[in-house]
Amino acid sequence: MHAKDHSAIARAEDAPEVPDITQSALARERELVAWLREQGSVLVGFSGGVDSAYLACVATETLGPDRALAVIGRSASYPASQWATARAVAARFGVEVLEIDTDEMSDPRYAANPSNRCYFCKSELWTRLLPVAQARGLAVVVDGTNADDVGDYRPGKQAAVERGVHSPLALVGMTKAEIRERSRARGLPTWAQPSSPCLSSRLPYGTAVTPERLRQVELAESALRELGIAGDLRVRYHGDLARIELAGDELEHWLAPAPRRELARAVREAAGFARVAIDLRGFRSGSLNVLHGIGAA
Amino acid sequence: MSADALEAALRAAGIAGTVTADGVVAVLRIAPDDRVLDDAARRRAAITLASEHGFRSLALEVAD
Repeated sequence: MHAKDHSAIARAEDAPEVPDITQSALARERELVAWLREQGSVLVGFSGGVDSAYLACVATETLGPDRALAVIGRSASYPASQWATARAVAARFGVEVLEIDTDEMSDPRYAANPSNRCYFCKSELWTRLLPVAQARGLAVVVDGTNADDVGDYRPGKQAAVERGVHSPLALVGMTKAEIRERSRARGLPTWAQPSSPCLSSRLPYGTAVTPERLRQVELAESALRELGIAGDLRVRYHGDLARIELAGDELEHWLAPAPRRELARAVREAAGFARVAIDLRGFRSGSLNVLHGIGAA
Repeated sequence: MSADALEAALRAAGIAGTVTADGVVAVLRIAPDDRVLDDAARRRAAITLASEHGFRSLALEVAD
């Protein structure tokens, strides 16, 4: 055996054991199916993200389209591309969908962008969705909160709890990785989709949320996607400055002089930011929480 | 938290540029064709310096 082969073995032995989540994901899904059957019928708050898309598909498969309804709450705080994903997933998997408009932007408590902004957004969402469930005779309203979300700073969760909204994915202990695994196994296109929190999360707390600012962020992120940037991506709004967070591999590429100029040009032209900066730490989930001392740095 | 102090510390670490503060975000400008931050170890060092100077984020502003 060559020395090279020895080192390969040593590396394999030293590597941390990666748990196989295939079995655990399947077991959790069985628990989820059992829980859904117990409820009889559900209304799913459906954003088109990884979690709610999976939940809507499992609920439809388990209960049938007459007893599972996915409702999209549309507002300026989510990019239009996300609705397109939601509609496409629903159409492909036979999920019954209803779209309604929400108006959290008109709530000054939301627009002021306090650190508990999500509470007011979700209050608006569930206030609109609960009567729909009641009118259609659906037993429970559910959201896509998963087991990984439970320990995070999530004031929006409080709004759900106050209104009796259930979080079955969290209830059965299903993690994001397990949801992705079962989504992949089911052929859901969302399985590898990056997490996609609302556009308001790009504005620092205390910076007023306006449709124009959200549109700027949406256009900038869309322009970066058109450049071919994959994976997690955020454009953080700092007035005339756009601070861009890229995933590790992308960061390496786009920091070089010619690519970074191309990137900045695209953001300026598409979204009208006067200044563009690339965050040297790259993508961080909840980075604006970190800036405000909420959560770990 | 001082942009000037961070700018001096970065210069001492071989990263020449200007630093401005946007709240707790430090914004660094370097020469348009400077490749000093291509190196991941140097980026980490710069981020550490920014953190030591009280900033929670360090971003490279792209010059025209």
